[in-house]
Amino acid sequence: MQDLVNIAFYLGVIAYSAATTLFFLDLARRERSTAVSVWAPRVLGAGALVHALHVVSASLLSRICPVESLHFALSLTALITAGVFLAVRRRSRVHAMGAFVAPLSLTFLVAAQFISYQQPTREIPRALLAVHVTANLSGVGLFLLAGAAGAFYLIQERRLKAKRLGALGGKMPALDSLDRTEHRLLLAGFPLLTLGIVTGAAFASQLTQASSAEWLRALLSYTTWLLVAAVLVLRALAGWRGRRAAYGTIAGAVCVLLVIVIYAVRPTVGAGL
Amino acid sequence: MIVVAGLSHRTAPIEVRERVALAKQDLPALLAELTAEPAIAEAMIISTCNRVEVVAAGPLPVSDFTQVRQDVTNFLVRRAPLVERHLYAHAGADAVRHLFRVAASLDSLVVGESQILGQLKEGFEHAREAGTLGPILHRTVPRAIRAAKRVRTETSIGAGQVSVPSVAADLAKQIFGRLESKTVLLVGSGEMAEAVANLLCQSGARLIVLGRSADKVAALARAVRGEPRTWDALQASLNEADVVITSTSSAEPVIRRGMLDAARRFRRGRSSFLIDLAVPRDVEPSAGDLEDVFLYNIDDFSRLVAESLHNRHREAERAELIVEAEAASFERRSETEQVTPTILALRRRFAAAMKEELDRSLRSKLKHLGTEDRAAIEKMLEAAQNKLLHAPSVHLREATSDGARVEQLVAALSDLFELDSDWEADTEHESRRLAGDTSRSTMRPVTGTDSR
Repeated sequence: MQDLVNIAFYLGVIAYSAATTLFFLDLARRERSTAVSVWAPRVLGAGALVHALHVVSASLLSRICPVESLHFALSLTALITAGVFLAVRRRSRVHAMGAFVAPLSLTFLVAAQFISYQQPTREIPRALLAVHVTANLSGVGLFLLAGAAGAFYLIQERRLKAKRLGALGGKMPALDSLDRTEHRLLLAGFPLLTLGIVTGAAFASQLTQASSAEWLRALLSYTTWLLVAAVLVLRALAGWRGRRAAYGTIAGAVCVLLVIVIYAVRPTVGAGL
Repeated sequence: MIVVAGLSHRTAPIEVRERVALAKQDLPALLAELTAEPAIAEAMIISTCNRVEVVAAGPLPVSDFTQVRQDVTNFLVRRAPLVERHLYAHAGADAVRHLFRVAASLDSLVVGESQILGQLKEGFEHAREAGTLGPILHRTVPRAIRAAKRVRTETSIGAGQVSVPSVAADLAKQIFGRLESKTVLLVGSGEMAEAVANLLCQSGARLIVLGRSADKVAALARAVRGEPRTWDALQASLNEADVVITSTSSAEPVIRRGMLDAARRFRRGRSSFLIDLAVPRDVEPSAGDLEDVFLYNIDDFSRLVAESLHNRHREAERAELIVEAEAASFERRSETEQVTPTILALRRRFAAAMKEELDRSLRSKLKHLGTEDRAAIEKMLEAAQNKLLHAPSVHLREATSDGARVEQLVAALSDLFELDSDWEADTEHESRRLAGDTSRSTMRPVTGTDSR
């Protein structure tokens, strides 16, 4: 079983690396290459499949449910991000965002190896924990994608404003597609993050003696929730879309990334959830 | 080898080209007319708005280039008597290079345009249907198509748009993605503005036409199938429009920053794309600084078109190298393949003669021989045949670099050993094989066993 875990991990690294290269090649080429455009998402999909195999086999080997360990949480976030991207890519015409998703998945897959399989040490109902982690992971994956869409929006907007279309030519997604995708991802991720926040409140009482890192993590999570809520409300009420929505979404995604960084550099934080 | 003769935008103005233009439905008859000439065994026609070319080849093994060229030229002159001075004709290696350049869009009016490759394939298909293709064109044209595809894959020769309307449509797609549910406002009139509007409407956008003169607006709206509006509806139309194309003769800007700011607020963050094709400009330049407003004037479009053209010409230099390499590689293979049918026919002739004599001997004087002895004699004769034919085969292949000499040798061998019938059977077989698979660019590999 250990061999299967290792093989799946290395295959995942290879596939994500190849997908990263292909997506960047696709962006860098002046003229779209059909072969590269076709193979980049396929390779990313193959990477996601072996990644899923890695998560399943590693959790069976370690006898830990993936949603009860920070190691798997990080890995699953990458998997969800890649999966959602592959699902919406064609419909939303945001193919170029693969240049963000593929390296992100690669980074998270590798980074997860540096976090132990340690499970929460506190007495938390397992069902509640599973709902909390699953909702948060899905929400984080969607927000990261929304943040990527926001970043791509700003790049594309700057190119069009500056009238310097350069080598990217028509390969960047259309502004409207990026804005719409970003909004939809936020709409999908917000209820999940809300569920995560609500279930997380059940553990809040245990934070009375928590470390400053745990407080910071909780603070960033609430900030993300507030930022996303503000972006959605302002869009609906005041017509804030485009650049303004992109800035808000990116700020939310940065908060999410900081939470992940805190987990990665202070693994004991995760032990208490 | 082939002959390519015809005229193009480089040698003939449109008045001449339109006289020679060939209708698709006439192609079978025209191809039949061409191949009815004794010197022309194979022919295809490339007919576009910028060129009419005949690609022809004579009968194998030896054809008269000069006669093929003359016959093709006569054919074109018969179509339009006064075009002779606009015609060009390439033969042999030059013709191959020309065909490869045409396929790669290096000889096109707009370098890098992609239609020519489709038109070449269409011409090839028409010739195939008319039954005027043979081993030479079956070998040459797919190689030209392959070279063109290589150019498209390895260079950016087709990247970017090279006309103002296409750049404008491309930008609109970069902003809005799909244009089906978008509204285009055309303010004023002008050939280029109408071309841009038409192009956007072809993608499904709805068109509003607005101007100061109600009569002109009504007429233009009818022509471009848009909705006519009067000048007092300008602000309301700006609020509604996703794309605004302006081309009025006003000395002052007709669309002020304040109007666009009001429209921006009304549109609640939805992007507006302004295409200002007027000189003096119709849109106040500072309006381009507004959030969600993308303002491009005629200079911006000219610069983008020039950039694309410059990039294409830079890529064309790389494309020329690819075409040159492909043509040279094709010629090397062709030269070798040119003598292959003769070598095969010679071997077949020798093998047949030896088998006949051996069979006769085995039936009479040598009928007492056992199976092993018979096999040994067969082997011995085969070895003798190989030894005998080794030197002529090598000399023939060595001579391929000298077109005239190889033709002499092939003709001499054909005469001396009466190879014509064998050769024709071989060529027919080859044609049938290739006709089933046009993507194959080469004939049978050289399989002679003379080196044994």
